[in-house]
Amino acid sequence: MKRFTPISSIIFCVALLCNSFVVHAQQTLRWGADPSGGAPYVFTDPSAPDRYIGYEKEMVDALAAAMGRKPEFVPSDWETLVSALQRGSFDIIVNGLEPTADRERQILFSKPYYIFQLQLTVRRDDDRIKSLADCKNRVVGTLANTAASRILNQQGIPMKGYPDPVSAYRDLELKRIDAVLMDVPAEAFYVRSNPKLKQAGPPFTRGLYVIGLRKGDEALKKEVDAAIDKIIADGTLERILKSWNLWNDAQVEFQAPIRAGNKTAEVAFDLTTATFNWHDALLRLGRAAVVTVLLAFGSMLIAVVLGMPLALGQWKGPALVRALCTGYVEFFRGTPVLVQLLFLYFGLPVFGVTMPGWLTALVGLGLNYAAYESQVYRAALEAIPRGQWEAAYMLGMNPLLAFRRIILPQAFRIALPTMTNDFVSLFKDTSVAFAISVWELATAYRELANASGQFLFLGVVVSLFYLAMSLPMAHVARLLERRLRDRSERPESEELSEAEA
Amino acid sequence: MIRATNLRKRFGDNEVLRGITFEVPPQSVMGIIGGSGCGKTTLLRCLNGLERISAGTIECGEVKLESSLSRKEYRRRVKQLRRQVGTVFQHFYLFPHLSVLANIIEAPVHVLRSPKRKAEAEAHELLESVGLEYAAQRYPASLSGGEQQRVAIARALAMRPDLLLFDEPTSALDPKRTSDLRALLREFAKHGHTMVIVSHSLGFLAQAADYMMYLEGGEVVEQGPTKEVLNSPKDARTKEFIRHAS
Repeated sequence: MKRFTPISSIIFCVALLCNSFVVHAQQTLRWGADPSGGAPYVFTDPSAPDRYIGYEKEMVDALAAAMGRKPEFVPSDWETLVSALQRGSFDIIVNGLEPTADRERQILFSKPYYIFQLQLTVRRDDDRIKSLADCKNRVVGTLANTAASRILNQQGIPMKGYPDPVSAYRDLELKRIDAVLMDVPAEAFYVRSNPKLKQAGPPFTRGLYVIGLRKGDEALKKEVDAAIDKIIADGTLERILKSWNLWNDAQVEFQAPIRAGNKTAEVAFDLTTATFNWHDALLRLGRAAVVTVLLAFGSMLIAVVLGMPLALGQWKGPALVRALCTGYVEFFRGTPVLVQLLFLYFGLPVFGVTMPGWLTALVGLGLNYAAYESQVYRAALEAIPRGQWEAAYMLGMNPLLAFRRIILPQAFRIALPTMTNDFVSLFKDTSVAFAISVWELATAYRELANASGQFLFLGVVVSLFYLAMSLPMAHVARLLERRLRDRSERPESEELSEAEA
Repeated sequence: MIRATNLRKRFGDNEVLRGITFEVPPQSVMGIIGGSGCGKTTLLRCLNGLERISAGTIECGEVKLESSLSRKEYRRRVKQLRRQVGTVFQHFYLFPHLSVLANIIEAPVHVLRSPKRKAEAEAHELLESVGLEYAAQRYPASLSGGEQQRVAIARALAMRPDLLLFDEPTSALDPKRTSDLRALLREFAKHGHTMVIVSHSLGFLAQAADYMMYLEGGEVVEQGPTKEVLNSPKDARTKEFIRHAS
């Protein structure tokens, strides 16, 4: 004990740390996937919400066992899986990942472990659509950046990207879209138990699911490949797939050579390649910019108009009206706008009100900002001295005329700077509309950047788009403010013509 | 022109006006004087309907305000009253977002519905009469206190009131401006305007008012022709006030 010097203790600690690090690296298999709406791949167990289940979860457990490692699940987001892998958030992607040319440039692929097909789904009462060929002029929903989305793009079918299958199928039920194209595992899980939906035609094309690894991680790839062969050869994977109702002829065909001991067997499949088209990407960004501008102006209009009765109700209304207006304001200011949008989009249809995504975003943001505008108005109205009212009354004006001609114009000058601020802020808040699949700038950035891997470049482009729109607006607002202020402060007015008009 | 009978005004338990009776004959100037808190501004605000009276009556031309009237009826009569009564506030309360000319024609155009051209012609005449024709296109914030007051007077006169009320008209004026204002008001009186001026400046009222009323503690201590009140006050409190003021 007495010979235990500080230096040796530090060395001891460092050794301990290194040791634990090495043990850690050898023993865990950190895998990333998107569990939100991720059934049947990996998803939250409805009967035990702190646990994840799914056929890929069971498969990774089996793979880890074969590799002598401990699996560790890192919940992530489908669209950013590749960048999260590269950043080192986890070591492998297991999420029904399809090998594509652009992904191959960024990451390494394991052997395939599953053959997937695509299935088109429509509403049960819809007899117009029998195959993809009938969808030319209809909107088809799918997950962004998947084989399905690439096929739709190639065939020129209008597509709407969703973050998870659940919201895509729900929008199909609500008639916001006409069909959904999805990988068979998800389709099998969600559609076959849903009486309102049906398959349109047989499943088609064949694609591969592989495991994604970081470039240069060859040792781990060898381990993973060997483990895949092992769980196929000993029937573990077949047992898992059967228990999830995913076992089919394609799997039999794919697994047969491997189980016969032929490890280099090739299997026939169609590869959907995503060749990133810059011309197309910029067009789509431009379209998203237009949507963003329309969204911002539309919801600001709602907010500016609706804010006034709210402000008046809260300011001068009878007790009940005042309480209602205060309740409205507190509700919309006190809850996140994202939650409000999700409620309007997914919750309202329960009451029979189904709005398309853009309208939901427009109304949602408008209602939300109306709460803020009402407070701006109220503060501005209360800032007008009582004497202004009295002077107007003394000239024989009634309250309405006094309000319209005397109070409102003065309050407007006070409110304008804050309203401008709110507008710029609303402009940026339109990005929450991505949560309900509205194709605005933030959505466009996420999807295009994920498809191309050009996070930096597209990020700069999108930021420039935002600035190109918000800077002129701020400038115009400043000009307007100065004009109004000058009018009441300028010693000598040259606007003779205006007074004479 | 205007007559108040046993006028009372209470704010909660605080009785600010305790039974005031007076009359202003047509085409005369009445000065109401008294120290701070004597109730003179409240009295003015009752005369123009900004405060509802608690007891007594106010008669102005055909209009009679009584404390017993219903809210709605009281409001209706106040509206009629205000067609006859104009007020120039202590702080003027010009409309800062409107030019001087627009301040003046605002009520004639939107309340009386006069044609804009006619209202403007009259406004220019009024501005000339208060010596401000050069400022028609300027905005209130660019005017001096005295100029603002004259705009406020012109604005009130544009509604052709029978009676003009002034609240502390000299508070923002230097001695030169004060004597200018006195001359202006005398001019108006000569042209037949009836005026009630609330002020704590004895010197100003001594030369501007025909009649004078001294208020203290919400009661009329003394009233009568200006010369009588100033030269031979009957009440000791009036004497005391005059002694301090001179």
